[in-house]
Amino acid sequence: MTESTAAIRTEGLTKHYGDVKALVDLNLETRLGEVYGFLGPNGSGKTTMIRTILDEIRPTAGTASILGLDSHRQVQEIRQHIGYVPGDLALYPKLTGHDLLTYFANLRGGVDWSNVRALSDRLDADLTKKVGDLSSGNRQKIGLIQAFMSRPDVLIMDEPSAGLDPLMQREFQAMVREFAAEGRGVFLSSHTLSEVQRVADRVAIIRRGHLVAVEALEALRSKAMRRVVLEFAGPIEASVLEAVEGVRDVSVDNRRAELSFDGKMAVLLRAVAERYDLVDVNTREADLEEIFLTYYRDESSESREADDATGSPSPDEVTV
Amino acid sequence: MLLQSVFTKTIRDRWLGMTIASVTLVLFMLYAMAVYSDIDLSIYTNLPEGIRELMGIPEGADAASLSYNVMLGFVGAITLAGLAVSQGSASIAGEERSGTLGILLANRKSRTRVLVSKMAAMVALTLVGALALLAASHLVPIVLAVEIGETHINAMMVHLVVNALFYGFLAMAVGAWTGNRSMASGVAVGVMIVSFFAVGLLPLVESLADLVRVFPWYYYDGSEPLINGVDWRHIAVLGGAGGLFSAFALVGVNRRDLRGPAVGDTLLDRLGAHPLTDQIFDRLAGNTRVARPWVKTFSDHQGLLIITAVTMFGMMGLLMGPMYAAIEADVAALSEFPEEVLALAGGGDFSTPEGFYEIETFSLMAPVAIMIVTIVAGAGGLAGEESRRTMGLLLANPIRRSRLVLEQALAMTLYAMIVGAATFVGVVGGSVIAGIGLSVAGVAATSVLVTLFGLVFGMLALAVSAATGRMAAAVYGTIGVALATHLVNSFLPLTDRFSGWARWTPNHYYLTSDPLVNGMPWGDAAVLAAIVAALLGAAVVLFERRDIRQG
Repeated sequence: MTESTAAIRTEGLTKHYGDVKALVDLNLETRLGEVYGFLGPNGSGKTTMIRTILDEIRPTAGTASILGLDSHRQVQEIRQHIGYVPGDLALYPKLTGHDLLTYFANLRGGVDWSNVRALSDRLDADLTKKVGDLSSGNRQKIGLIQAFMSRPDVLIMDEPSAGLDPLMQREFQAMVREFAAEGRGVFLSSHTLSEVQRVADRVAIIRRGHLVAVEALEALRSKAMRRVVLEFAGPIEASVLEAVEGVRDVSVDNRRAELSFDGKMAVLLRAVAERYDLVDVNTREADLEEIFLTYYRDESSESREADDATGSPSPDEVTV
Repeated sequence: MLLQSVFTKTIRDRWLGMTIASVTLVLFMLYAMAVYSDIDLSIYTNLPEGIRELMGIPEGADAASLSYNVMLGFVGAITLAGLAVSQGSASIAGEERSGTLGILLANRKSRTRVLVSKMAAMVALTLVGALALLAASHLVPIVLAVEIGETHINAMMVHLVVNALFYGFLAMAVGAWTGNRSMASGVAVGVMIVSFFAVGLLPLVESLADLVRVFPWYYYDGSEPLINGVDWRHIAVLGGAGGLFSAFALVGVNRRDLRGPAVGDTLLDRLGAHPLTDQIFDRLAGNTRVARPWVKTFSDHQGLLIITAVTMFGMMGLLMGPMYAAIEADVAALSEFPEEVLALAGGGDFSTPEGFYEIETFSLMAPVAIMIVTIVAGAGGLAGEESRRTMGLLLANPIRRSRLVLEQALAMTLYAMIVGAATFVGVVGGSVIAGIGLSVAGVAATSVLVTLFGLVFGMLALAVSAATGRMAAAVYGTIGVALATHLVNSFLPLTDRFSGWARWTPNHYYLTSDPLVNGMPWGDAAVLAAIVAALLGAAVVLFERRDIRQG
């Protein structure tokens, strides 16, 4: 496998459920050696995309390939190279973790059991209990071990850190980074941005079945958007702030204003200081959540049609 | 006292099942009466009194009372009781297992009120089903212009409702005390089946005849309410017991810690952990269970398999030989009756050991036993994985969909063969013990045929679950088809016009040739095997083409 081989590649991937367009003309390519974050709110099509490339469901149009292998015709070969953590993980409740991992190891073949032991030590997983008796976080650990234990070339994970406590999330993120450093491909869907922020090299944003953007994480951050909180001696008007170029999402509460800003700070400060008595300024780098929401707005006109079809709330209702 | 929201939700969850059951019962009633009014009934009315009573046929029986006998006395009563059991076991234990009871009880409502509301819903739905059946019983004869004579349909229906609720409350009580849904429905259905057969068989043995009073089914139709009207003493016994169960349920649910959705330890686990038994049970229930999908499916239902095989071996195999020897003299009189009558009773002749075994063991119980294990395995292996949402993960492993279907079919075939073999050994054993001299080749042929016949329905369940991924469609669809082909095959041959239609059912290729006497009908076996193969092929193709369901 050379660096040039795409880990996952989709071309015009489309999936309709009756009238519902779950996935519309999705084109993306992920590389080996990178962690690819797949971001979107609940119901945006993340799981549909993953289930389609795994041949669980069949696309209405378009194709997908993993490691250059067609996701439908060569699925058997693909399955030998992937690890998978399904979203909303369900396992066999009556099997112990040990039996369950043995089952999947037998199906897969060639699993080195010392990997399982190392992973379960690392995640502090209890393999002796029945899976149905475990808490959801501990059950998730079994699912993760199951995906990592065969050391697959491509890891596909749908909301993998669900239920894990923060300590374990960090451990899991470290595992993901190590995996990518070994030249494997990691595809990770999530609706929590902080997680992706910590592990992903590149991020795709999906919304109502449409791919909104693909960016390197650095590029996302370099949008350099900041959150600014201004406090004044007296009441102010939002319109004054909104008139400044680069200002958006203004909310004013009497003498306090909050806004997003991606211009020169001097311009903003000059504009408000001219009109009002500025008491305090507090500013920080916007997190991905805020950038994310900004993206939604920018792309909202393009996918307006799809919004109407699915009947979900329009992005304008999403406020910061 | 009544919580309206709980009551209406329970009704809403259940009305579809009850509606389907009611419509089916009404259609069957129409069908049964149409068939009976088409055939010459003198074969029944000329039966000697003893035999007629045994078959539950009233004096001067007509098309109507015969239909009522089948539809109310057997099919309708079992259906409504089964639905009540399903509701009773779901009401507390079911919600505990799915983890929803905690949410339900977090709403500042007492456990008593929740359970009372669920009881009320069960009673209401049972009444709805009974009313549909009652209306059909009155209307169908009018539609078909059949004379109904002196029959007490309303009285029968009173017995039927009280009987159904008895089993429903029994299931509810067991569920409320244990929180174990399988145990609740298992105990109630077990009591129902055992008492149904006891009431049918015990009167054949004079010295044991009085024992039937121990079995609840006796209080359903032991007094022949269709002929004699309501027997209030019997109603009081059944109703009183049902009331006691409901009181038990109310006490039980209030006294106990609620269970979560956790799995808990089974008896096998405990035996496996015990130093005296761990080696044996590690082998039984250890790592080998997860070697391959077919091994896993095979071990998933091994409890059910063992119980079914042992029942067929012991009760339906071994025991029936001595049983026949004990009643041989009493049933000798039966040999004088026209073949059609006996054919109706299950396709055999009570007066010969072959006929006795055919009626008691092979005509109904053996196919049902094999169907139970194969349908459970067949539906569980594909649709079960999908409804538990584990199929996606399973198929992310290097296993082809076609291979998975074939492995499930393999597990199912082994199940059928084990129950078939247990039946064979049991029947041969029973014959040897009682010295009634059944032909071993005949028993072998019949056991092979019943295995194939049961597999037809197991494969149907597999094909339906491959096509739809839905447990309910696979299980209830298959049961519906099995019931329909059974009725077609047992009634249509009695008519002149439709007698040829039976050959379109698999049932026709099972016992028609009298394999217990005549040995293996290779042609019939080939037909059954071909149906099995065709359904398996269909399952592979259908599963290959479809989107996997997610829950």
